[in-house]
Amino acid sequence: MTTARWTRDEGARRPRRHLTKQQRAYLFVLPLLVVMAAVVVYPLFYNARVSFFDYEPVRGTWTFVGWENFGKVLAAPLFWQSLEVTLLWVAANVGIQLVVGMAVALALHTIRFGRGVFGGLFLVPWISSYVIVAVLFLWIYHPQLGVLNDVLLKLGLIERPVAWLAYPQLAFIALVAANSWKFFPLVMITLLAGMQAIPSDYYEVAQTEGANRLQMFLHVTVPAMLPSISTAVIVAGIWAFNAFTLPFIMTGGGPLRSTEVLGLYIYKQAFTSFDFGAAAAASILLFLLILLFVVAYLRLVRDQS
Amino acid sequence: MRGRGLRLRRLTAQFWAWLVVALVGGLVVFPYVWMGLTSFKPIEEFFTYPLRWTSENWTLEQYRRILADPRFLRSVWNSTVVSVSVTAINLLVSVPAAYGLVRLRPRGSRPLLLGFLSTQFLPPMIFFVPFYVYLSRLGLINTRGGLVVTYLAVTLPVAVWLVAGAFQQVEPELEDAARIDGCTELQVLWRVVLPLTIPGVATAALFSFILAWQEYIFALLYTSTPAAQTAPVMLFFFLGQHQIDYGRLMAAAVLLSLPVIVPFAFAQRYYRPDAAAGGVKG
Repeated sequence: MTTARWTRDEGARRPRRHLTKQQRAYLFVLPLLVVMAAVVVYPLFYNARVSFFDYEPVRGTWTFVGWENFGKVLAAPLFWQSLEVTLLWVAANVGIQLVVGMAVALALHTIRFGRGVFGGLFLVPWISSYVIVAVLFLWIYHPQLGVLNDVLLKLGLIERPVAWLAYPQLAFIALVAANSWKFFPLVMITLLAGMQAIPSDYYEVAQTEGANRLQMFLHVTVPAMLPSISTAVIVAGIWAFNAFTLPFIMTGGGPLRSTEVLGLYIYKQAFTSFDFGAAAAASILLFLLILLFVVAYLRLVRDQS
Repeated sequence: MRGRGLRLRRLTAQFWAWLVVALVGGLVVFPYVWMGLTSFKPIEEFFTYPLRWTSENWTLEQYRRILADPRFLRSVWNSTVVSVSVTAINLLVSVPAAYGLVRLRPRGSRPLLLGFLSTQFLPPMIFFVPFYVYLSRLGLINTRGGLVVTYLAVTLPVAVWLVAGAFQQVEPELEDAARIDGCTELQVLWRVVLPLTIPGVATAALFSFILAWQEYIFALLYTSTPAAQTAPVMLFFFLGQHQIDYGRLMAAAVLLSLPVIVPFAFAQRYYRPDAAAGGVKG
C-alpha cells in the first residue's frame, strides 16, 4: 500500500520521467550491448562467414565455397594429429591440476594459520603472464644452463643433462608441467571454496561413526564438493582446450608436432598458410569440441549424482 | 585414551598439511627466485659450468641495459597506454550495465548476463581471422587503438561479471530509500551502489588491467613494429634473437611482473574465490 502510494507520488512529482523501468534498465545496458556487438558478436558472425569462403592471399579475393573448408580440415591428417595432441593435453592438464589442486586445497583447509598468506602466494603463478611463464620455463629447461638439469644431476637422478624440449614425449610432459604450474591455482581456489562451504557437522557425524581420514575424504568431502569439482574440471578443461602461448613460444608445436595443439594448428593455417577459410572452419570445430566437452561432462556429473 | 589418539591424529594431519604446503610453496616460489637470481648475475657467469647458483659479483647491469633500451621502454609505454585505456573503457561500460542487469533486473537480464559471461570461454582462435580482416579494413593494424578493440573482447566479459557480482551484494532497501528520496537511477548508482562496492569495482579494474597488461596473442598477431608492440611481444622479440640473452630476458620479466604482482598483493583479500571460477555456476 505505502510503496504504491510513494511510487505514484514520485511519478506525479517527476512527469519528465516517461520511460518505463524496463526501458531505463536497458538504457544502462545499451553501451555494453553496443561494444559487445562490435567486438564479440560481429567478429563471431564474420568468422562463421569466412569459414564458407576461400581467400586468395595474393590477389586478396574471396570465393564462396560452401562447406569445402570444413571438408578440407576434416580430411587433413594434420588436423586429426593435432586433435589427438589436444585431447591428450586436456586430459593430462586437467588430471594433474585436479590432483595437485585438491592436495593443496586440503592442506590449506587443514592448517591452522597462514591460510590467507599461502593461498595468496599460490595464486601468483596464475596471475603471471603466459609469456613470462614460457620464457622462465625455457630458461629452467635449458639443456646446458638450465637449473632443472643441475638439480637432477646433483641429486643423482640423471647422469647427463637432458634436452627436455628436444624429444616428442618429453617436450609434451615438460609443457604440461609448465602449464599446470601456471594453472593449478585456479583449480585449488575453486576447490578450497567448495571445501570451506561443507558444514562441519558432516565431519562430526562421520567421526562419531568411526570413519578414518580417507573414508571421510571419500564419503564426506568429495560428494559434498561435487559442484565445485565440476566447476574446476570445466574451467581447467576449457583453458586447456584454448592453449596457445606456451606451445607457441616454447616449442612452436614441435618436435614432430608432438605439442601442436589445435590453437597452434589454427594459427598456422591462418598466418603461415594464409588459408583464412580453413583457419576459421577449424576454429569453429574447436569451439564445437569445447561445447561437446562441457555438455558431455555436465551430463556425466548429473547421471552420477 | 581416545582423546590422546585424536590429538595424535590431528598432529599427523597438521604434519602432512604443512608438508604439502612447504613442497608446493617451494615449487611455486623457486622459479621466481631463479628468475630474480638470474637477473642480478653478471653476464660472464651465465656460461660457467657446472652451474653456480649464487655470485660474488651481484650486479644491476642487466636492469641498466634493459632500461636504456628505447625499444623496451617504448613497448612498456604502449602496454601502459593500452592497458589503462582498456581498463577505463571496461569500467565505463560495465558499471552501468551491471547496474542495469543486476539491480534493475529487466526481463531477459539473466540469460543476457550469462550470455556475456560465457563469451569469456570462447577460444581466442575464433577471433584470429575476423580481427585481422576487421582491423586491416579500419586501418587499425599495428596501432594501439586496434589492440584496445581486440582486448575489449576478452576483458569486458570478465569485468562485467566481477562488477555484477559486487552489485549483487547491495541491499535493495538502500536503493529503494534513495529512490523514495527522489534520486534518479544514475544518482542511485553513483551515490548508493558505487560507494558500497568500491572493493569489487576496484577488483574488476585490477583484473582488466592485469589481463590487458599480459595479453600476448592479439598483440603478436596485429602489431609488427615498435610503434604499437607491447611489452610481452618485446620479450618474445628478445627471445627470437640469435644469441638468447637470458639475463636481459629475466630482468625484463621481473620488471614486467611488478605492475601485476604488487597491486595483486594488496587486492588479494578482496578477491572472491568463486569469482575465479567463471560464470559456470552463475
